Amino acid sequence: MKQLLIIFCLLFSALLLKAQINVNLSLSGRPPANLTEWGNRKDVLTLIIGPAQSQSADVKIKTTIKTLDGTIVGATNLNTAKTFTPLAGAVVILNSLDVLPLENVVFTGKYQSTLIRTGKLAADNYMLCVQLLRATDYAPASAEVCKTFYLAAYQLPILTQPSNEQELNAKLAQTAITFRWTPVAPASPTPVTYRLRVFEILENQHNLQALRSNQPLLDKNIIGTTQFIWQPQLSMMPYSGEENKRDTAQQKIIGKKFIWTIQTLDNNGQPLNQTDGNGESLSEPKVFFVVDKTMGNKIKE
Amino acid sequence: MIKKRAGIKIIAVLVFLMHSLCLHAQKKPLSFSVSGTMGISYEGYGLNRNPSGWTGYTPRRPWNQVRFNFMPNFEFGKNFSLPFNINLAALPTNFAGPYSGFIPGGPKQNFKQWLANPVNNIAVNPKYKWAELQLGTQYLRYSELSTGDIGVFGAGFDLRPRQFRIKFFTGTSQPGINYFAGPPTITGAFKRSNWMFQVGKEKEDKYEVAFNFAKGKDVINSAAPPPLTIKPQEGFVISLVSNVFFKKGWYVKLEGAQSIFTKDLSTPSTALIKSFEPFIKAHTATERDYAGTGSIGKKGKNFDIGISSKYLGAGFQTVGYPYLQPDRLDYTLNTKWNTWKNKMNIVASLGQRVNNISNTTLKAKQFIGNLNWFTQFNTQWSLNVNYNNFGFQSASGINPYGIKNVSNDLGISPSYTWANSKMSNLLSLSYNYSKYDERDVMTGLTTSNNTHTALLTYVPSYFNKDLTPDFSAMYFYNNVPLAKTRLITISSGLNMPAAKKKLQLRGQLQYNLVKLNAFKSDNNLIASCNVDWKITKQFSWNTYLSTNYFKYGNSIVPNGANYLESTCRTGFQYRFDTKKTK
Repeated sequence: MKQLLIIFCLLFSALLLKAQINVNLSLSGRPPANLTEWGNRKDVLTLIIGPAQSQSADVKIKTTIKTLDGTIVGATNLNTAKTFTPLAGAVVILNSLDVLPLENVVFTGKYQSTLIRTGKLAADNYMLCVQLLRATDYAPASAEVCKTFYLAAYQLPILTQPSNEQELNAKLAQTAITFRWTPVAPASPTPVTYRLRVFEILENQHNLQALRSNQPLLDKNIIGTTQFIWQPQLSMMPYSGEENKRDTAQQKIIGKKFIWTIQTLDNNGQPLNQTDGNGESLSEPKVFFVVDKTMGNKIKE
Repeated sequence: MIKKRAGIKIIAVLVFLMHSLCLHAQKKPLSFSVSGTMGISYEGYGLNRNPSGWTGYTPRRPWNQVRFNFMPNFEFGKNFSLPFNINLAALPTNFAGPYSGFIPGGPKQNFKQWLANPVNNIAVNPKYKWAELQLGTQYLRYSELSTGDIGVFGAGFDLRPRQFRIKFFTGTSQPGINYFAGPPTITGAFKRSNWMFQVGKEKEDKYEVAFNFAKGKDVINSAAPPPLTIKPQEGFVISLVSNVFFKKGWYVKLEGAQSIFTKDLSTPSTALIKSFEPFIKAHTATERDYAGTGSIGKKGKNFDIGISSKYLGAGFQTVGYPYLQPDRLDYTLNTKWNTWKNKMNIVASLGQRVNNISNTTLKAKQFIGNLNWFTQFNTQWSLNVNYNNFGFQSASGINPYGIKNVSNDLGISPSYTWANSKMSNLLSLSYNYSKYDERDVMTGLTTSNNTHTALLTYVPSYFNKDLTPDFSAMYFYNNVPLAKTRLITISSGLNMPAAKKKLQLRGQLQYNLVKLNAFKSDNNLIASCNVDWKITKQFSWNTYLSTNYFKYGNSIVPNGANYLESTCRTGFQYRFDTKKTK
């Protein structure tokens, strides 16, 4: 009788094992910080289900995001989760939109409030676990597979020099203008390219209008460093006498006016941060003036 | 619905304006005047590179461009004015932003794209007393956190009855632009519809209170094929501005704002994030966040002091400022002081910026300190000293070391002026030392980038001659590991009238010598001139010519490569004012 019971248990275990579906999870070690961006990038998350058992069965995907100490950050709401029916013997390949459908994932406490405000989770190491459950009774249909990942949003460079509305001496600026900006933070594992562009703001143009409509006087790719010394090879002499007149409202000489910005590109030449801000990874532009200070003195006199 | 209401309001205001005008017209004949400017200019650019086939230097201006401007202001009586603002360019030259790729030789833009292209501006703002209609492309600034940086082509109004302020504008900030692989590549853009509304009360130099609302929404199917890297978006922002100005120059300025912004409209809608209906419905890519600015201070004749602060939450985003960088807290102390009988002037600011308040990236701190100190010791001597410090620091994250960049700049500029019976002379020396340290996040090694700049300027001014020359010499030295750069510049300018002062001539000659490490020097000569010819009191012809010849030594391959770059701008400008003519 005891032997029969053991044999029965073994058979039942074997049957259960046979009923389990193989799942294979592939996850980028440093995915985009914006969780919605995962769905746009096929390379971020892939789940391979199968080949499935001899009979097809309805399953739901239970996805859980945890911190490394096991605290649950968010998990799929199984009641509203989509049902999948892997066909017998077939392999199903799913990506983030199916595995981590944000409209069905319930995040907890502070993580939810951060996500609502920013679309991101706090910068940290996390673990993503996936398990298939039978749609009828939520019994496990596969083993749970987990992968760790690190999340940290990229902060685009902030332009520091010339500072906004800084007046540069034309005699110095005609030889060299030094541009400085803060680096991308955190530092990217692959080198980033800073594309520095300088546009002249023409008469009757608004600052951003010039940036969006003029050909840049400088368009330079800079790798690794956060300073560039531009030798403009431009005469900073005004186009007409009007430009050297004093703007009585602003109490300063009207000289030449420029707008500059940095576009940060990844190692494929694509904008580093496509979901934040303008989608072009353009840093907040700054305006500077090039003023003939000797002319200013003459006008003062 | 909102658009329909806006349309009705605009028509009502227009009818009211016309009616008022007619009533006014019945009483007495209206005085009429026109003033403004109109002109046409041509810009030509040439680049000749040697040896032929060498592409080491790229063109930086359009080969040809023609620009028109027409900005008359028609005034009917005292109360009604009709100002036009028309600035057009014959060729599109868009290199950044949503239009990027529309350049000569590329695909042609359609009429809607031409009309809304920022290279063109067509606007008319009829105004009757306190009511102004706004038609065409308008760059409207409602507040610092709502809208102000983008041009929108559409219609709206700005009403200011007594102390009330009611403003509304609706239109398109960009039409749909299809992605085009190129070359030249057209980045593409979704059509974006915007509206903005402000209601408030203002008494000049006393107070200002206003609610601002601004919305922008992309039309998903407006570009086919759609842009590759840009997602269709929707954003709504609401802000409250309250500024109060007290006696003796004291002021308090505050603005608080909330934005609801969907970064990708193609994501599914969700009930997990609260919508702000009827203005915006939440998607999984929707973020709601806050921002605030505040300043308090005192402005006086000889002394200003103020503290200002700005907080932008990580998810704060507004379509009115598309390049705003969020997730930061700035606070600065600014002061300006005139003393010693106005002979000493001090301007200083001290502040800090903290990035990543949300903790979604590595925390980074920036310290900013500026000081500019000018002293006029006597009629002959003056001295200007300036010092700027900037530091940026972040935690290490997964790298062995954190980012640490520090910049220090010190400038000293003494000037000496002397005169005799024939002329006065100005001799000015300017020295600047700049040190910029960058830490490598992998090795922890700090690289120092040191720059010395010295500039000597001499400007004689003749009492009995109209000739105004100036001379300057500059030395620039930059030292970073593996690269030492020396630049020497000598330049001279001359300014003089001719033909009974109908012609104003300016010329400048500049020679640069560039030496990198032990390479043979590069040589650069820039000559430029401009001629302003006042044909009549109203009509002028301005011409600007510049040429830039650069010859490399042996610092690049091919050795001795050189280029000649020429720029020409010439244009006629007509200023008119019927009041003055009468």
